[in-house]
Amino acid sequence: MRLVRFLAVVTVMVSGALLGSGCGNSRAKASDPIAVPSGPMTELAKQVPGRIKGAGASFPDAFYQEAVAGLRQVATKLSVTYEAVGSAAGREAFGQGLSDFAGTDSLVGEDDPIAAGTFRYIPTVAASIAVVVNLPGVTDLRLTPEALAGIFQGDIGRWNDPAITASNPGQELPDREIVVARRADGSGTTKNFTRYLDRAADNWRLGGDDTVEWPSHTQGGQQNSGVAQIVIDTAGAIGYVDYGNAAQLGLTMAAIRNRAGRFVAPSIAATQAAIDSSELTEELTYDPLDAPGADAYPITAPTYLLVRSSYDDATTGRAVVTFVRWLVTEAADTYAADLGFAPLPERFRTAALSALDQIQIDPR
Amino acid sequence: MTVVDMPTDAGHDVEVSLEANLSPARRIADHAATAAMVLSFAVAAVPLVMIIGYVFLKGGQVVDMAFLTEAIPNSYRRVGPGMGPAVVGTVIITAAASAMAIPLGVLGAIYLNEYGKQNRLARTIRFMADVMTGVPSVVMGVFVYVVWVLRFREQTGFAGSLALACLMLPIVIRTTEEMLRLVPDELRLASLALGARRWRTTLTVVLPAALPGITSGAMLAVARAAGETAPILLVTGLTFDTNWSLFEGNNTTLAAQIFRNASQPYEGAQLRAYGAAFTLILLVFACTIVARIISARFSTTR
Repeated sequence: MRLVRFLAVVTVMVSGALLGSGCGNSRAKASDPIAVPSGPMTELAKQVPGRIKGAGASFPDAFYQEAVAGLRQVATKLSVTYEAVGSAAGREAFGQGLSDFAGTDSLVGEDDPIAAGTFRYIPTVAASIAVVVNLPGVTDLRLTPEALAGIFQGDIGRWNDPAITASNPGQELPDREIVVARRADGSGTTKNFTRYLDRAADNWRLGGDDTVEWPSHTQGGQQNSGVAQIVIDTAGAIGYVDYGNAAQLGLTMAAIRNRAGRFVAPSIAATQAAIDSSELTEELTYDPLDAPGADAYPITAPTYLLVRSSYDDATTGRAVVTFVRWLVTEAADTYAADLGFAPLPERFRTAALSALDQIQIDPR
Repeated sequence: MTVVDMPTDAGHDVEVSLEANLSPARRIADHAATAAMVLSFAVAAVPLVMIIGYVFLKGGQVVDMAFLTEAIPNSYRRVGPGMGPAVVGTVIITAAASAMAIPLGVLGAIYLNEYGKQNRLARTIRFMADVMTGVPSVVMGVFVYVVWVLRFREQTGFAGSLALACLMLPIVIRTTEEMLRLVPDELRLASLALGARRWRTTLTVVLPAALPGITSGAMLAVARAAGETAPILLVTGLTFDTNWSLFEGNNTTLAAQIFRNASQPYEGAQLRAYGAAFTLILLVFACTIVARIISARFSTTR
């Protein structure tokens, strides 16, 4: 008997919930359809079968995910999964053989379980690391590297501090406590951001790495979107996230004084200006931080994919090379700019493609 | 308010209200205590009702057939359905974990209560099971990551099942043993006196008598496993497409998807997280009902 009554109660609850969902509330509409890629690289990708997996940086995640979703529409035999676990965790998984390629914003270090010579860097896109603030009433904010360093290491605790107001003449800044939001996980975004401060601000003391010893009053968020979430939720907060997330969420982005002495806000053009003045090294890395150009946004970060120099499994190797070739060319042209990422200049692409040609797919 | 039976000289039961005899001070104390208890219950019920209500309200908006079957959108920023891979993943990973943990746990508990009793081995097992109950789930995840995932170089659904089975096992053992202990010894003695052997007594007398309780314990373990996030994130990886295979390729579960999506600042992702939470609650619900029906058929106590 009790069972029957229990079942009756459950049935009523469930049907009530489903009924409630059926009428009244309309389902969220899908936004614009995903763009369909086209071109010779896309045609190649359609021919290649395989199931490959990558993990790593969350900085370019929005671009990679949109590209993967786009590719899925046309290349039915090729299944690609990218998991945004953070640069450090991505390199570790790659080194342990858990993924076929990795995404990283920072270079492979001594702590990573990846032997030199077994992998290649492939630069994919670049983007500004936006300094985002939540200050009701303030839409324009200019920050010097020194003020930025002071804020993030806790020397400057309130928004009306002279170090901030000095570069914002005529702007009324509130007497409000600054809440610092930073990454909790090992992050290439953190590494590029702190390396920039280390280079550009004399007063920065925390060094530059995937994680640094943040002051205890700072708040940690998971991945770029977690930091963005803290900034959205907290009045008086400041944080650093990729430009794509910041723009999509409509966050207020600060203009940062670059090496030429101009205050530049993050944008795709300012990102490209920073890349244009940086040199590609032998191993296909480059350093657009604190770039010299007058229009360059100073906190511009590269992002790379790590691919193996040789793949034991021919199917996997061919799938990775085909996918990455497509990603840096037609995918970058189709998706990157809309999502806030800057496609790389031609000389970078040429180098990336020739590096991909050298990957041994079927050793023996 | 309260009524008790009081025997009288005449041998008749006469109902006497306790309140009639109470002094005003004691009556006030009585009312105050009752009110305090009702209030405590109400306070305790508030978060429960709010959680379920909020999840049903928010999640109910998005859950429909398309939500339960379609692939997960790659980009968090996109709105619209898709939790199919997570529904499939939750079902097969939890089912495989239950298939490993529940029989093993019940058999272990039978050994502890019917055979081992207080000998040294049984006491050790009991102690270890208690310790294991308190081990944080992420530790199980790391354990499986090291001994299984790193060895086979792939994050799979089965690795998730192993981690969940490790979590479920001590719960199943301890709850089952408690239930077996509640079965009166007279039943065992009667069965033995009728000539049944110990295994037959256990199988046909003790187990059916304890079945409803064992089922509850097992369901508790299943519910806990289905809602586990940390070990799943660690050992099963992620997939956006439905993967029916336990042994090949990454997988994902509803709990992992709730974690991934709820922390995103995008509304589409947050709605998907609510939808996944709603689905998970319904799934555990359905599972409990089925288990109740099955146990009611075989039980001897109801």
